[in-house]
Formats: sequence, structure tokens, C-alpha cells
Amino acid sequence: MEFNFSKEQLSFREEVKAFIKEAKEQNTYTFMDNGFCEVLSQEFSKKMSKKKWIGLSWPKEFGGKGKGYIDKVIMIEEMLKVGAPLGYHYVADRQVGPGLIHFGSEYLRNKFLPPILNAENTWCLLFSEPGAGSDMANCKTNAIDKGDHFLVNGQKVWNTNAHVSDYGWALVKTNHDPKTYKYNAFSEMIIDMKSPGITVRPIYNTLGIHSFNEVFLDDVKVPKENIVGKMDNGFRQIMTNLDYERSGIDRLLQNASVHIALMDYIKTTEQNGQPLSKDPLIRDQIAQLEIEYEVGRLYVYYVSYLLDSGKIPSSETAVGKTFCTTYESKLVDMTMSIMGMPGLLRNGSPEALYDGSVGQSYLWSVPYTVQAGSVEVLKNIIAQRGLKMALK
Amino acid sequence: MEFDLQEDQIILKDSVKKFFEKEVSKDLIRELMENDTGYSPELWKKMAELGWMGIPFDEENGGYGGTFLDLAIIFEEIGRAAFLSPFFATVVLSGILLQNHGSKENKQAIIPNIVDGSVISTLAMLGKKGFYDKEELGLNAVITENGYTINGSAFFVPYAHVADNMICVTQTSDGITLLIVDSKSEGIDITPLHTLTGKAHDCVVNFKDVIVPADKIVGEIGKGWEYIEALFPKINALLSCQCVGGMQEVLRFTLDHLNQRIQFGKPLSALQVVQHYCSDMFIKSETSRYPAYRAAWLVSENLECKKDASIAKSWCAEAYKDVTKAAHQVTGGIGFTYEYDLHLFSKQAKTIELLFGNGAFHRSIIANEMEL
Ligand SMILES: Cc1cc2nc3c(=O)[nH]c(=O)nc-3n(C[C@H](O)[C@H](O)[C@H](O)COP(=O)(O)OP(=O)(O)OC[C@H]3O[C@@H](n4cnc5c(N)ncnc54)[C@H](O)[C@@H]3O)c2cc1C
Repeated sequence: MEFNFSKEQLSFREEVKAFIKEAKEQNTYTFMDNGFCEVLSQEFSKKMSKKKWIGLSWPKEFGGKGKGYIDKVIMIEEMLKVGAPLGYHYVADRQVGPGLIHFGSEYLRNKFLPPILNAENTWCLLFSEPGAGSDMANCKTNAIDKGDHFLVNGQKVWNTNAHVSDYGWALVKTNHDPKTYKYNAFSEMIIDMKSPGITVRPIYNTLGIHSFNEVFLDDVKVPKENIVGKMDNGFRQIMTNLDYERSGIDRLLQNASVHIALMDYIKTTEQNGQPLSKDPLIRDQIAQLEIEYEVGRLYVYYVSYLLDSGKIPSSETAVGKTFCTTYESKLVDMTMSIMGMPGLLRNGSPEALYDGSVGQSYLWSVPYTVQAGSVEVLKNIIAQRGLKMALK
Repeated sequence: MEFDLQEDQIILKDSVKKFFEKEVSKDLIRELMENDTGYSPELWKKMAELGWMGIPFDEENGGYGGTFLDLAIIFEEIGRAAFLSPFFATVVLSGILLQNHGSKENKQAIIPNIVDGSVISTLAMLGKKGFYDKEELGLNAVITENGYTINGSAFFVPYAHVADNMICVTQTSDGITLLIVDSKSEGIDITPLHTLTGKAHDCVVNFKDVIVPADKIVGEIGKGWEYIEALFPKINALLSCQCVGGMQEVLRFTLDHLNQRIQFGKPLSALQVVQHYCSDMFIKSETSRYPAYRAAWLVSENLECKKDASIAKSWCAEAYKDVTKAAHQVTGGIGFTYEYDLHLFSKQAKTIELLFGNGAFHRSIIANEMEL
């Protein structure tokens, strides 16, 4: 056992910090919480691409930098601490690339990996449907084999950034035999978002922000070669993909600026002549947050260590995501409570502290414990996959 | 970063685990909770023969110069076995203090005997209220011409009733001072206390004009609390590892039970609410392992770890307690019986949570370390 970073890892962290410092000084990029999904800056992504930091942990033979997942966590950790705008390449780097590397044909890899690495296109995930949220196997979007292409019909929903994406990574039903075991009925495919027949409609979230969408597919033609991996094996592949989606430090640091604001607030705000940081109750709460943060952080590094050792985590990513997103929700809730009334001020409001980021983050935190597998669904996975508890 | 144990550590872990599986039945633990020695002299001897007592000590004092991680591994297994013995008191509370701060003579007089299992030693520190606070200690010492005279009462002294000697944390006019006292000294009166974990684990030790020769001091006059504070992170790391072993074991046999117990025509383990209890237990135990071992690793590397050790102790001990409470909930009536093993663990879990500072105590250390 050894819990220190290697020399290379320490200097890599410094390199990332220097990169961020320089990018911030340029004053052209937006740094904010949830920036990794909400702020799309192709320019910033290209800047990272030049460093080969997109595909950092992909194998070299696929154009990646061939570094480990621990390295990737180090990089993302530094980026998220300052809310770097990673949205343009984030999903493709995290999920699409590894998905193609694992399951994709040579054709798909050659066609799609280089533009992802070069930050030339952006992606969305087309999994959820009105009738298939937690129960993804209830997916109804149909793909009918028409000889040289598939004809796709159906509706997807909650698709982050679908309105600005070049491609969608979709789960569709390809086996229509009612006798087929339901988990063997789906395939993964890549859909060009500019295809005729696609309509993307905005959905406004509780912040009044348009970040996710509903996507209608009417007789959309998808080339046969766009099927990823084996026909009818999509459900299993998606479960593997999701393990990448769930395993990162992005589930711990989505609202990192809240912690910075909190620490500043308690040290600089006085009540009856004494800083809040001297209040025993507040100290206890802050220390509890610190404990959970450190526990979660160590666990995220552990999961990346598993990936680096060639193990495929499953219940571990569910443990990590459950734990870390619960922490994030608690962080911002507790911060709001400690700040009191000023915590309610939204960004843009007169008198707002910390650009209103705390109130903003509070609203954003609501779905942290829902998206990419609700905490309850993750606990089912832990119990059934991890602890082998009975199914019925 | 390397989150797995090395090969020699795995071998050690397996051997300790097998030892407990073979030698320590849960009935034996019930007996150790009920009888008035609170430990098994026979097993104590075997543990010494296996070399466990020598792990943290230098070879020049008869030890085996093992690593702190080795000790951490033993504590994880102690937790898994819910084992009761004066190992913690002797090897850690007293032994490590002596090793780090004792005079050459005192070390050579005591440590080899700890290593070969012939001596049990402990630490007498707390006052009646049990605060881990240097202003609330149980013992006072007056500095005399030839040494010291101790008066007062030390509470919650582990295994004092079977200890050959104890290190006493005393308040003197020159500050807190550690003194080695022979348990047979005149003026010492020891009464076992009945606690959650049994009838003979902690004691109250009354001191009436107990005379201690000057050369029985550990380190320097007035520096005692410094030494104790340096010991705290080590204690926290080891207790955290003990919690990790305990949690895993509780989850293991709870799952066994849930898979067998049929209600509503199916095993309890098929009920989603029950599954979620178990997932929560698993999350607690999974996320405890690395903070505990990280703290132990920091100690073994001689790195600063006050904050990390408190993080581990606060998290792991509360997690262990929570895990046992959840286990009680899902095991229903059987879990409340004396016959079922769960209470051996839940009593220890609550004890460890309070031992060397509860969660709030450690959170206050963490807040200080964060410079709040
Ligand atoms: C901000 C945001 C961004 C998203 N981005 C995308 C995206 O880009 N692409 C995409 O495809 N999807 C996306 N999603 C969808 C997301 O994955 C789903 O919301 C999620 O899977 C839950 O599905 P649902 O919303 O239909 O909730 P439901 O399935 O209706 O579940 C609601 C609640 O019911 C409970 N529940 C459900 N099933 C179980 C069960 N088996 N056991 C116990 N309790 C259960 C849980 O508490 C759950 O939270 C996004 C969602 C959000 C909120």
C-alpha cells in the first residue's frame, strides 16, 4: 500500500495548474460550477487537445496519451476546482471514446476518434426516454433494418447539449422479436444530429436554463456501420459505459466553488464580533464536510486505481457515485444554511455574494443524485451486483 | 498510489485471520466478556509466539522492527474477530510510548518482556469524566527529592487488573509528566468496571501516596502531553483499521442471515428496503478502508497525519456503529439475542466510537488543523 503520488504525477498536477492559470489570465473563457457540462468552449477544448489532454487516458494506439486514470483524475480535479469549461469535449472524452475503443469497429474508431481528440465535434447521450428512465430496458426507440441502413423512430429525453451536438450516442431497439430476452434487444449506435428527421426541442430546467432537451426521431436514416459493437448487445455495453460515467471525480467536484465560498464566508463574516469560523457548531459541520470530501476523494482515486490495474469496477462505481453526489448535495445545502439569507441571492442579483454561485449551485445540485443512475438504482446495483443479494 | 496490500502483508493478514478463526470462537469472546480476567492468557502466549507483540519495536529492544502497516493489518483482523485482549493497551498505549520516549534502561527493562508476552502493560490517564483533555486528567504527582508521589484516580484504564505495570499520565507543578508505575506498588488499588464490552476490560485505579523512583519517568518532566498527542494519530489509525475489519464481518454474517431467513415466501434479502440497508452498510465499510489504511501508511512513512488520522477515526468509528445499528434493524428479534453474535460487534463499535474521542472530538481537531 502506498498513498502518495509519483513524481511524474506531482509534476503533471503542476503543469495542469500552470495551464489553468494561463488560461484564466487570458480572460476569454468562462470558469464556473457545472462548467464541465454547461459551458462549451471549443477553443478551450482545442487548447487542451494541443496538450493531448483529451484522450489523456486512452491507449496510445487509438491516438490517446496512454496515461492512467489516476492521471486523468488529477487533471480533472484541478480543472473542476476552478470550474474550467470542459463541456465541449467532456462526454466524448469520458464515454464515447472509451466506448468506441472497447466495442467499436475499426471504421468507427478511425472516423470518430480523431475528431474527438482534436476537439472538432461535440456529443450528446441519447439514452433516456419518456418511458425509460431508471428502467432503461424499457427503451422504445426503434431501429428497423432496411438493408443498407437503419430507419430510426422514437423519442429521447433529458439529453444534455443535444441542441449543440454534432453526434448522438444512442440506445435503440434492434431486436423486435417479443420472445427475445429484453436485455438482448438493444444496440448502441451513433446518430448524426444533422440527419433529416431529427427535431431537438429545449427543456428549461428549474434554473430557467436550457441545458437538456427532448429529441424526436422520425424516419431517421442511420448507416449500418454506425452500430457500435455487437448487434443486440447494446444494453450490456451501456452498463460498461455508465461505469465510466459514474467513476470520475466530476461527481465530487461539480460545485467546488461552493466550498471555496463557504470557507471564505465563515472566515470573513462576523457575528457579534466573532468570525463564524469560531462557532463550534459551524466548525463541526465544516469538519464533517471535510471528512466526507476526503473519504470520497480517496475512494475516487481507488476506483481509478482499479481501472489502471485493468480491473473493471462495477459496484465500486455505484458506491463512489452514491457517496460523492450525496456529499455534493450536502455541501451546498449546508453552505446555504450557514450563509443564511445572503445565500438566497442568485447570480446577477444586486448584493449577490460570490456571483450568486451558491444559490445557483443549490438549484443545480437537485439532480446530482438522480442523473446517470439515481442513488436508489445505484443501491440496487450495489446490493445485487456487489453483495449478490437475491433478485426475487 | 497502490491500494492493494503487498504480498508479505497479504500473507500476514491471512495468517492472523486464520489464527483467529481457529482459536477464537464467539463463545470464547462471550466468556471474555463475562469472566473477571477479560483475556485469555493462553492465547496471549500464542500471540507472542507468533511475534505480534514485537512488531512495532526496534531490534535492540528485542522487537522485530516491523512496519506500522503490519500492525494496522493485525488491528483489522482483531476487529473482524471481535477479539478482546490487552494487546492494544500493552503494545500501543504503553509500548509505543516507551519505545518513542522512554529511557534506554526503561525500554530494556520492559519492551523485551512485552515482546515475549511475559508482561502486560497499560496507560492510566483519564479522570472520572473520561475527557481526553489535559486539564481533566485523573492523576497528580508531587515532585519529591527521590522521585514522585502520585495521588488520585485514573478511570477507564484498560486491563489494569492484569497489568504488571502502567504508564501514568500525571499532572505535576511542572506540567504533565509520564511515569512508569509497578502495579504492585503500595497504595494502588484496582477495581474492574463493568462496561459495554465486559466485566473486566476497563478499571478504575486509585493511587494513594504511591511512590515512584525518579528514573521511572518517560521522557522529560512536563512533556508528557506532547508525547500523548504524538501517540493519538497512531491510536486513531489502528482503531480505524479495527473498525474496518469489524464492519466487514458484520456485513458478511448479516447477509448470510438475510439470504436464509424466509418471510413472505422469499428471503429477506430479496426485499429492496433490506437491500438498501445493506448497500448503505457496504458503502460505509468500503469507504472506511482507505482512510484507515491511509492514516496507517502516513504513520509508517513518518509523515504528518494528525488531520488524516482524525478523519479516519471520526469516519470509521461512526460508520462501524452505523453498520451495527443497521444490522440490528434488519436482523430483527434474533439480532437482539445474547446467542446471536451481532452484539459482540455492536458493543465494540459503540465503545470504539467513544474511545480516544468521539466524532465531535475529532471534528474539532480537524477544524483546528484546517485553521478555522
Ligand atoms: C440534469 C440531467 C441531465 C441528464 N442528461 C441526460 C443525457 O444527457 N442523456 C440521457 O440519456 N439522459 C440524461 N438524463 C436522464 C437521467 O439519466 C434520468 O433522469 C435518470 O436515469 C432517472 O430517470 P427518470 O428521470 O425517468 O426517473 P424515474 O425512472 O422516473 O425515477 C424517479 C425516482 O424513482 C426512484 N426509482 C426509480 N427506479 C427505482 C428502482 N428500481 N428502485 C428504487 N427506486 C427507484 C428513484 O428515487 C428515482 O430517482 C439527465 C437527467 C438530468 C436530471
